Amino acid sequence: MSDPYLGLTMLGLIVAAIMMGFPTAFTLMGLGMIFGYVAFWDPALPWYDNRIFDLMVQRTFGGMNNDTLLSIPLFVFMGYVIERSALVDKMFYSVQLAFRRVPASLAVTTLLVCAFWGMASGIVGAVVVLMGVIALRPMLNAGYDIRLASGAITAGGTLGILIPPSVMLIVYAAVAGQSIVKLYAAAIIPGFFLAFLYIVYIIGWAVLDPKIAPKIPEDQYRLPVPDWLKRLERGAKGSVFPTLLASVVNPGLALGGKTADGKDITYGTIAKNALASLIPIAFAFTLFSTAWWYVVIHSAPQAIPTIVEQVETETVQNETMRELGADAEEEEEAGIPVDAAASQKFGALGGLEGQAPDEAVDHIPENFFVWFWGLAATYAFLLGVYYRRMDGEQLEILKLLSASVMPLAMLASIVLSAILFGITTASESAAVGAVGALYLAAFNKYRSHAIWASLVGMIAGIAFGTMRNEIPTYIVAAVLGAIFTGTAWCWLRDLTSSRQLIGTLKESTFLTAKTTAMVCWLFVGSALFSAVFALHGGQGLIERWVLGMDLSPLMFLILAQAIIFILGWPLEWTEIIVIFVPIFIPLLAHYNVDPVLFAIMVAVNLQAAFLSPPVAMSAFYLKGVAPSHVTLNQIFAGMMPYMLIVILCMVIMYVWPGMTLWLPRFLYGG
Amino acid sequence: MTVQGLLHGVDRVSEWSGKAAAWLIVCLTLVVCVEVFKRYILNAPTAWIFDLNAMLYGTLFMLCGAYTLSQNGHVRGDFLYGSMKPRTQAALDLALYFLFFLPGIAALSYSGWDYALLSWRINEHSNVTADGPPIYQFKAVIPIAGALVMMQGIAEIIRCVVCLRTGEWPVRLKDVQEMDVVGEQLAHSEYVDEESRKQVMGHTQEIQDAAAHRLVQAKGEHK
Repeated sequence: MSDPYLGLTMLGLIVAAIMMGFPTAFTLMGLGMIFGYVAFWDPALPWYDNRIFDLMVQRTFGGMNNDTLLSIPLFVFMGYVIERSALVDKMFYSVQLAFRRVPASLAVTTLLVCAFWGMASGIVGAVVVLMGVIALRPMLNAGYDIRLASGAITAGGTLGILIPPSVMLIVYAAVAGQSIVKLYAAAIIPGFFLAFLYIVYIIGWAVLDPKIAPKIPEDQYRLPVPDWLKRLERGAKGSVFPTLLASVVNPGLALGGKTADGKDITYGTIAKNALASLIPIAFAFTLFSTAWWYVVIHSAPQAIPTIVEQVETETVQNETMRELGADAEEEEEAGIPVDAAASQKFGALGGLEGQAPDEAVDHIPENFFVWFWGLAATYAFLLGVYYRRMDGEQLEILKLLSASVMPLAMLASIVLSAILFGITTASESAAVGAVGALYLAAFNKYRSHAIWASLVGMIAGIAFGTMRNEIPTYIVAAVLGAIFTGTAWCWLRDLTSSRQLIGTLKESTFLTAKTTAMVCWLFVGSALFSAVFALHGGQGLIERWVLGMDLSPLMFLILAQAIIFILGWPLEWTEIIVIFVPIFIPLLAHYNVDPVLFAIMVAVNLQAAFLSPPVAMSAFYLKGVAPSHVTLNQIFAGMMPYMLIVILCMVIMYVWPGMTLWLPRFLYGG
Repeated sequence: MTVQGLLHGVDRVSEWSGKAAAWLIVCLTLVVCVEVFKRYILNAPTAWIFDLNAMLYGTLFMLCGAYTLSQNGHVRGDFLYGSMKPRTQAALDLALYFLFFLPGIAALSYSGWDYALLSWRINEHSNVTADGPPIYQFKAVIPIAGALVMMQGIAEIIRCVVCLRTGEWPVRLKDVQEMDVVGEQLAHSEYVDEESRKQVMGHTQEIQDAAAHRLVQAKGEHK
């Protein structure tokens, strides 16, 4: 017996049932079992022989075989290890020094550090509590407005779940049959744009009303500069850069002084400082040459984009036609060709490099060269200004920054670029990222060992790279070799001798186990639920009903996002994504809404859910660590504007879909 | 044996099996990395890697289900639930364990057994590649995980009964928590003043619980 209205009853009941507070995975499973039992009821069979039992097992096995969800434990593991190996307070201190001349510098720093650290770890509660300790008190001591201070922490802390690599997008991809890679590519620009809007809001407020964020007295944030660096300062701005470089060739310029901890200056000290001063140039060079390589050399025309396109459209069609249950096999079908196409695309590279560049020109986006050289010139100008003003103190700040922020930034960019450029699948780069995180943990304890082992690994990697003899292979092989060898060496050393790191590994492993089990059991429960929902024809009924309302695409989009926004108050993002998002997805094709755009809008929308009074957990976390004179109402008042900014961001995303869709289209076509 | 002893005994079994399975995440990481190395650098991909990855991941999360349940780690819609009295919570949970939990998990253990048995009998191999590895042992994870979760679920039911009688939730085993990282970070911090460090370190779990229940902590603030 199946009846669409029973399906609708299921949907109505699920909201009430979840609110009863029972573990959601089992609530979904239970409702699925009960309604499925009714649907499969056959009086001829004994009561214990109902096909729903088999469906339950089948759906579970589908969840166990799901290659999208495979990335979850890997990314989560990476996050937990990073949380334990990157020190936030050093990061906060150095970023704050770098931004000390910006209005409301502490708030801007807080937001940036929250977003950056949250991006790696993705656990909102921990980020908010930790930043509540590290950043809230300095801000309040400096006389910042409580609303400004608390808003920056809570809004920054939630940004991490949006900016890739984020677990939320993996779950979304698994539920919607999207490719994770595409969602990541699409989320990057809106994610940073949202962060940008937050910063504009903070700075704007501080400029309009300087009272809320008093300037910090200069003398509170001075870094001691060692004498030998002071002696190298030249010119009106006191730049150390030219003399530092000169002393690499002619060490006599700097030798003879003492370092801060009283040791003699050696040639090694000079070389290290000179290398550190070159980091901004190296960064710019890598960024621009990668862009150049990817656009001009790599993306020569090929038949592959059309393959990807076909696969994507197939995925969408499958999605609309098939029943909603997350059907692992179909996803596999859709997933493998994309990867195959990506690796094919990459594999074809060697042959293309030597080929006629005029073929490649067709594929280069219009105005690429204008933009490229324009940006390069701007950047070069800024670098010039920066180096002219780089006095001893600036160099010290740069060194602090590169020690605290750079390792994590490099890891994040390796992971993301490996995914985005199609070098590895999402789960593979998550695994590489997890090893990279273990490397970071070991690097903090055994710095010199890590460096030497990595150098050996890098050389070995390059030696292996000769087997294929392509420039990208050399780079990837060197990076992989360095990370793997460095990690293996340090960890083996640690495990056989002092065992300082084993605690980190154990904690991260067990926490990963719990989080993965939580998300994946929820997924199993929702797979059964949505299968039974579709079996009753509830999905069909909803579709007919929504289509019957005769909405315009914009009205549909507003309706869908408003529903998700409201559900975001009582529910967690996991529940919203696995239960409610699948209901909207089959309707997207009808309204001509791009499924990728919709996905990212949902992800941005859920940001607001984390910031909505009176239920947002972040506020309660912050209240838990704040001094007692900070009231919950002040925290909520600080959060409210960010909710409006999130909505503004969604409007901009709708008006200007290119912001979201440009990068995935450019990278993967379609 | 006291009830508390029984509960902790069951918790320990779940925790042990879950933690043993948790190490599969390290295996999975290493296996994937070796495969990246083999495929990308040696140009020698492995045919059965897809199956192996799925087996590691599937076994990992299935076997950790009971462990997560024993730590109350499955996400709850705690918007209303969090503000209820323990007795109300227990009554609600008790009813829902019978209504929602038992049928599904029973199916998992009982039908899962048949499902795995059939697979054993026909010596089933994966069909991802022509010469796939056996997967009957992977399917056998379903009834095993089902039985573990069932056992833990019965312990949870007993917990509800105890709570109904005493008005307080029986304590759970201590285990690593997400908030622990705050303490570790602060222990190594250099720029945080001693006072705020002391205030937070060691209390992170209370902050977590208070936030989960949407409570404003102590210090006499009433809203």
